[in-house]
Amino acid sequence: MELTILHLYPDIMNLYGEYANLAVLRRHLQALGASVTVRALHGDDRPSFEGADLIYMGAGMERMQKFVLERLSGQGDALRQAADRGAVILFTGSAMEILGRSVTDAAGREYPALGLGDYTTRETDQRNPGDVIAQTELLPTPVVGFMNKCSLTQGVKTPLFSRLLLGLGNESQLGPEGYVDGNIFATHITGPVLVKNPAFIDLVIRRLAGAKGWDLPEQLPVLPHEQDAYAVTLRELRARVK
Amino acid sequence: MGKLRFYIALWAGKLCRPVLKLTRHKATTFPGELALRLCPSFLQYVHMPEQVIAVTGSNGKTSSVEMIAAMLAADGRQVVYNKEGSNQIEGVTALLLYNCSLTGRVRGDVLLLESDERYAKFTFRWFHPTHYVITNLYRDQLTRNGHQQWVYDAILPSIHPETTLILNGDDPLVASFAQGHDPEKVKWFGLEENPSSTKEHQGIYDDGARCPLCQGRMEYSCYHFAHIGHYRCTVCGYSRPAPDFAGTALDLEQGQLTINGQTQIHLAFRSIYNIYNILAAWSVCSLAGVSPQTMAQVLNNYMLKNGRIVRFTLGAHRGALLISKHENSVAYDTNLGYIQSLDEPCEVMIIVDAVSRRYFTGETSWLWDIDFDRLNAPHVRRIWLCGTYENDLALRFDYTQVSPDRLQFRQSIPQAVEELKASGDLPLYVMTCFSDRDKLLNLVQLEQGGD
Repeated sequence: MELTILHLYPDIMNLYGEYANLAVLRRHLQALGASVTVRALHGDDRPSFEGADLIYMGAGMERMQKFVLERLSGQGDALRQAADRGAVILFTGSAMEILGRSVTDAAGREYPALGLGDYTTRETDQRNPGDVIAQTELLPTPVVGFMNKCSLTQGVKTPLFSRLLLGLGNESQLGPEGYVDGNIFATHITGPVLVKNPAFIDLVIRRLAGAKGWDLPEQLPVLPHEQDAYAVTLRELRARVK
Repeated sequence: MGKLRFYIALWAGKLCRPVLKLTRHKATTFPGELALRLCPSFLQYVHMPEQVIAVTGSNGKTSSVEMIAAMLAADGRQVVYNKEGSNQIEGVTALLLYNCSLTGRVRGDVLLLESDERYAKFTFRWFHPTHYVITNLYRDQLTRNGHQQWVYDAILPSIHPETTLILNGDDPLVASFAQGHDPEKVKWFGLEENPSSTKEHQGIYDDGARCPLCQGRMEYSCYHFAHIGHYRCTVCGYSRPAPDFAGTALDLEQGQLTINGQTQIHLAFRSIYNIYNILAAWSVCSLAGVSPQTMAQVLNNYMLKNGRIVRFTLGAHRGALLISKHENSVAYDTNLGYIQSLDEPCEVMIIVDAVSRRYFTGETSWLWDIDFDRLNAPHVRRIWLCGTYENDLALRFDYTQVSPDRLQFRQSIPQAVEELKASGDLPLYVMTCFSDRDKLLNLVQLEQGGD
């Protein structure tokens, strides 16, 4: 199986070690015998999602996110077409906001976004950093990670995580978080979220395989240290849940 | 009325100290908190000395402040400064309480403040520094501080138009504080290209890739470390300013720094960090009127008291703890670079047990920002990965070139210490943060007079 991963703006949207999400995912895919190419779209490149099986973007600073919003202006349809032909889309951290309809900065200026999700984001002058434990029906175990956002997102009808045991959701403490629509996944959780959550890696792999008609074994590869790192983090975070 | 409240707060705060001592409480920022509660505008009424110097930035504040104090003292000035690094408004208030007369006049020629980068705006709402040094802005404790542009936005309101800014011109984000400030009131320090500069960016991520003004692509003619170097935006032309105070020649191997082509300083610490701390301290002291001779005398072989290296013995190992702040990949990278540059066999230990001493977090994404490949050197014989987050460390090392047979995983720090005590005699370099330092130091034999 040959797979192409497109990493959007790795030199700009890279606040929380996001490249590691793809490095770890790639190793899992290789363990299944796939040959994986990771391609990058840089700040000055003309946006194109052609040929990508997974399209990924990570978290960035607010001004960098606005720069990316401008670079991707008018690309919503192209990204939607990529999703329609089966590409898996994963946007984490403040990249989640880019998938929505708009982002309004703390000064009130509104930036149109890609519009794949029917939600809007408003930045504030407060940051809300904190650890997260999140539950989704898509996974048997909770997802752990961290969030460091200064925004609230409204209008999500299909959240990725139905509830949080710890952390700030889209618009409320412990509330629903992220966004999911078929193979489009968005969450403000960093960590990096795939590195911290081997079960989430498996979910992404199964979705990739489904789109490519790739038969996977029932048991996906388990790589060293990941399960233990997950278990320790979940234990430590659970101890903080009142 | 305001003035009366001030006096009440002043005297109450002053009275606190002997009471705290009598009840055997450690001197804390409590008197400052009390004074501020009684008089929120307390700082406005303190009669400040003619010169007020503040230092802020991600790294190097404490070291720069220490050297500035030493140079000013050598010039015969009486300096009031926050040695303990209590750098938020309560700490600054407590400092002034202890060092002013009963009428609120600061007893000293210079007030020197290490200032928390996020909270400076609260302190400098009431008075402003005559000289304000900004050292650098890196990714530092993102879980607490937010990213560096967020910190930039937090520092900005602390800058008064009358203040003279002393900026690190080699840091593009720091240099952008000059935008909109009276150019007469901006002084630059920087380091010229030297044998330890590189043409290519070193490290996992490049926070100098984009212009802080227009987000255009930046070009560097040389890098000193991380995003610190000589830059130019390919779109708007924003570029490194010519420094007023320049490290014109640097030989890190020989430990020689030349400032403004004239003064030679011999370095006790051969780290690039230390160079910038020296340049920052030199610049502000020079502007405060200290002579180059006096400054050079102090800085020559200057041994930092707040040294971030602690020497110890563990079994047959001679050890050195290199304080590396968790959640600060630049601090780690600098120490990794030091270990990489050694020419004798050694062992390395990395401890990530509590990410912070001030708050809990399980955030470990910063491990992916650290360039651990710098340990892929033949003289690094064994690497011990320890602490609660040993698995996260182990996973991170799976994505380096470091051979797995050099890695030792021990969640328990005492167990790793016992094993090291029983085996080997190579020098041991330990990297960890303040939060985890004592978990090791309590188990080893400290050397006297550590630097």
